[in-house]
Amino acid sequence: MGKTADLLPGTVDLLILKAVSLKPLHGYGVLLRIRQISGEALEIPQGSLYPALYRLEHQGLIEAEWGESDNGRRAKYYTMTATGRRRLREEAAGWNRLAAAMAAVLNTTPEEV
Amino acid sequence: MWRRALSRVRALVGRRRFEDGMSEEMRFHLEAYVNDLVGAGTPPEAAWRRARAEFGSVDNAKDDCREARGLMLFDELARNLRYAVRLLRKTPGFTVTALATLAICIGANLTIFAGVYSILLRPMPFPEADRLVAVFNAYPKAGVPDDGSTLTNYDERRGRIDALAALAVYRDGTAIVGEPGSTERESISRVSPEFFATLGAGPVAGRAFTEAEMTYQTDHVVIITDAYWRQWYDRDRAVLGRRIRVDGVERAIVGVLPPDFSFLSSKARLYFPLSSNAEEREPKRRHWGSSTHMIARLRPGTTLAEAQSQVDAHNAAVEGGGIEAKAMADAGFRSIVEPLHAGHVAAIRPTLLLMQAGALFLLLIGALNLVNLLLIRASQHVRELAVRQAIGAGRRHVVSAVVVETTALTLGGGLLGLVVGAVGIRLLPLLGTDRLPLGTHIALDPRVAVTVLLGALVLGVAIALPIAWYSLRQRVASGMQFESRGSTASRAAQRLRHGFIVAQIGLAFALLSGAGLLGLSLNKVMAVSPGFRPERVLAGQISLPWSSYQRDADRLAFVERLVGDIARTPGVMAAGIVTNVPLSGNSSRSSATVKGRPRRPGESPRAIYSYSVGGDYFSAMGFTLREGRFVVDADSRRAERVCVVDEDFARRYWPTGGAIGQRVFPGSNPAEGREVEGFTIVGVVGAAKQDRLTEDDALGAVYYPFGHRQDNDFFVVTRTSAVAEAFANTLRPIVRAIDPDLPVNDIQTMDARIEDSLVARRSPALLAGVFSGIAMLLTAIGTYGVLSYAVAQRRREIALRMALGAQPAQVRRQFVSLALGLLAAGTALGVIAAWITGQAMQTLLYQVPALHVAVLAGTAVTLGVVSLAACLVPSYRAARVSPMEALADQ
Repeated sequence: MGKTADLLPGTVDLLILKAVSLKPLHGYGVLLRIRQISGEALEIPQGSLYPALYRLEHQGLIEAEWGESDNGRRAKYYTMTATGRRRLREEAAGWNRLAAAMAAVLNTTPEEV
Repeated sequence: MWRRALSRVRALVGRRRFEDGMSEEMRFHLEAYVNDLVGAGTPPEAAWRRARAEFGSVDNAKDDCREARGLMLFDELARNLRYAVRLLRKTPGFTVTALATLAICIGANLTIFAGVYSILLRPMPFPEADRLVAVFNAYPKAGVPDDGSTLTNYDERRGRIDALAALAVYRDGTAIVGEPGSTERESISRVSPEFFATLGAGPVAGRAFTEAEMTYQTDHVVIITDAYWRQWYDRDRAVLGRRIRVDGVERAIVGVLPPDFSFLSSKARLYFPLSSNAEEREPKRRHWGSSTHMIARLRPGTTLAEAQSQVDAHNAAVEGGGIEAKAMADAGFRSIVEPLHAGHVAAIRPTLLLMQAGALFLLLIGALNLVNLLLIRASQHVRELAVRQAIGAGRRHVVSAVVVETTALTLGGGLLGLVVGAVGIRLLPLLGTDRLPLGTHIALDPRVAVTVLLGALVLGVAIALPIAWYSLRQRVASGMQFESRGSTASRAAQRLRHGFIVAQIGLAFALLSGAGLLGLSLNKVMAVSPGFRPERVLAGQISLPWSSYQRDADRLAFVERLVGDIARTPGVMAAGIVTNVPLSGNSSRSSATVKGRPRRPGESPRAIYSYSVGGDYFSAMGFTLREGRFVVDADSRRAERVCVVDEDFARRYWPTGGAIGQRVFPGSNPAEGREVEGFTIVGVVGAAKQDRLTEDDALGAVYYPFGHRQDNDFFVVTRTSAVAEAFANTLRPIVRAIDPDLPVNDIQTMDARIEDSLVARRSPALLAGVFSGIAMLLTAIGTYGVLSYAVAQRRREIALRMALGAQPAQVRRQFVSLALGLLAAGTALGVIAAWITGQAMQTLLYQVPALHVAVLAGTAVTLGVVSLAACLVPSYRAARVSPMEALADQ
């Protein structure tokens, strides 16, 4: 657990959107996928995963449908909607700008000032 | 936005499925995680523990999910509603009182508001109705504030006033419609060609009138209303071109109006062209005021003020500087442009607003009552509340519980109020509201109902505020004690309750004294003598159609035969005709000059009432002869022209007497070379109230013999020795025997006409009386409730004092003096409120000052008796407290 980074507020939604945009997933699958693509560095608290999913569904960014899991159990799968895709693009762009700016600031050396 | 609402509704409707799905989803998550952990080598037991620990509380997660869907709000609402209903059912007495109070108060407001909305607020049913204006001639210095417009005005202004996109005139009247032997009198309106275009609403079938149809030779066309179409033609599409016999002449139907066509208060069912000839539009007739009215539509982008100044400029241009123009200028002449709807209802506006204010006062009193009763109940629930707060109920929960309960009450009361209001609206015509301008349009409009229910919702929240404040101030600790009387919160609550009682008494005081002022004013008006003896006098209107009574001789012959036939009927004491009966609301005014008494430079011509009389009119109406003789039937045929004036007229010109033998000339200018047009005064009669009982302008009146100044419309007036109403059945056959086509309209006794003329005073007084009766009942309930509670709260204290030897009388006195204190404060507040109310209603009062000592004293005594009666029961109960019982009661 020690290797996971603390999540900034507001990033949970972004992470979920990204995970779901790659492939329809059930709730637990979202958790695994984020862990996997972040190289095990990011982990969404399990208790707040579902409220976030319900909120995103309520906002029309993702859609839920019951289907069958890999081991033949009934599970709820989340897919991306067009609105969600647009939102993900915007948020990702905003996040990248912020990250680049932060990096630029933090990498500044005394000589560059 | 709609998407979220949909998702919320889906979750609400399929609540079961939502909950099941949520449980299944989370179960799946845990099981899948455990599976993975076991697969990685963790023993199942430990895997489950770890999965649960990392997931956290499933219930919390579910709550958060519900919150995400906006379901928490509904859950809490439903919970609070169940709690509120349980609470209300546990106290049926309180609930019934509260609901009844709200139903009556809201119902009263709804009833009045329906009137206010229908008369003052609802726009006229025309496109851009706010651009419609009325234009009328006013001669304020002559005592004539509104004299309509003339055909000359219409002719001169058409197309010449830039600010007015369209201009039209109309004249209301009646006509005899139908085949001989089965005629009926219909309300009609004669209109100029652009009348319907000006309004922006016209015939749905057929066409409007054309310019060519505006002459007496070509005007044989008619446009019918939807009501007439339904009644007589059963909505037959092929009605155009069919003929209607009007006043003995056939008119072809050229148009049918839509069902929703409704012009101001017009009752017209048929529309005719307003025909005229060139003579009637001559410049010299510009000020021959008439029953013709002008409407216009402002051009888009122009203001009322621009239209007014253009009309003023146009008037100045056409008037010129002649002697007539000078006289009119002296009379303060101006053509006024005013908004059509606002002008039409201006006279009734203050009364309606006053009534609405009274209804709102009533609602305020009811609401204060409710707050007090709820406060008392809340303090009885202090312990329960304290327990709830102690086990974690947040402030939000306490507040929302209160709000849900009060809004449930007010909405319930609002729904009942809709029923009460619907009944009230049905009863309104009993108060004569159907005779008000637009009064027949009062109905329970859906928008009014929605407004009232929204108001009920707001009221619920407003009532909740003091209750919530009180509930929150309750300290857990003090609430847990059995006696919480000493706590600061309950002392503040007591002050609040007492303050509300004082406010309630003050408001009831203002309402009661307002009703007293209105009643007193009505009484004073009713005591005014009309100037004639109205008892056992019956008057009915007859209009001779032009087509069959074109010659003066025909009309005079008809009148003489009619009056003679009536006079010979047994039970008739006197009969006569007059062109208008007093207090009919449309007595015509004109001007007259007196020989040898030219107007001084700058002096305004004075309007006077002028009538033509025939038969034995003065005896029939019961006028008093002051001097000389009455004008009698024979004067109509004599070559010598004589007239009678009233004492107001005589006093103005001959303050010291000597009116008999003087000469009067109709018209506003000296009669040089018109000697033959003069009338010699042969008698002076008592002054009568002409327009309304409260008039005090004493304009004066001149009565000419009918034969010398004729009219097609007149009233036949009969004084009977027995009940006057019954004579109506004798009068109609007498008229039909002379002319079978001729109906008699508007047959009423003069007493009834006087009653009718007071409707705008009686109804408000009656309504205010009803309101203040309810207000007093509410105040009594409120005082009783608060004092009962005060006694119950101090039972132990009273018991202790009585155990230590206090007399029952002393205990009683303590509570009576509390009530007296509240009453005194309420009365002081009430006197101030009554003064303000009196000021506000000054314009509606007749010879009654805003602050009337007897009314105030009467109000104080009445309210005092009522509130003391309400406090006697609790006070006596206090004195009967048994020390043993009270002290044992822990």
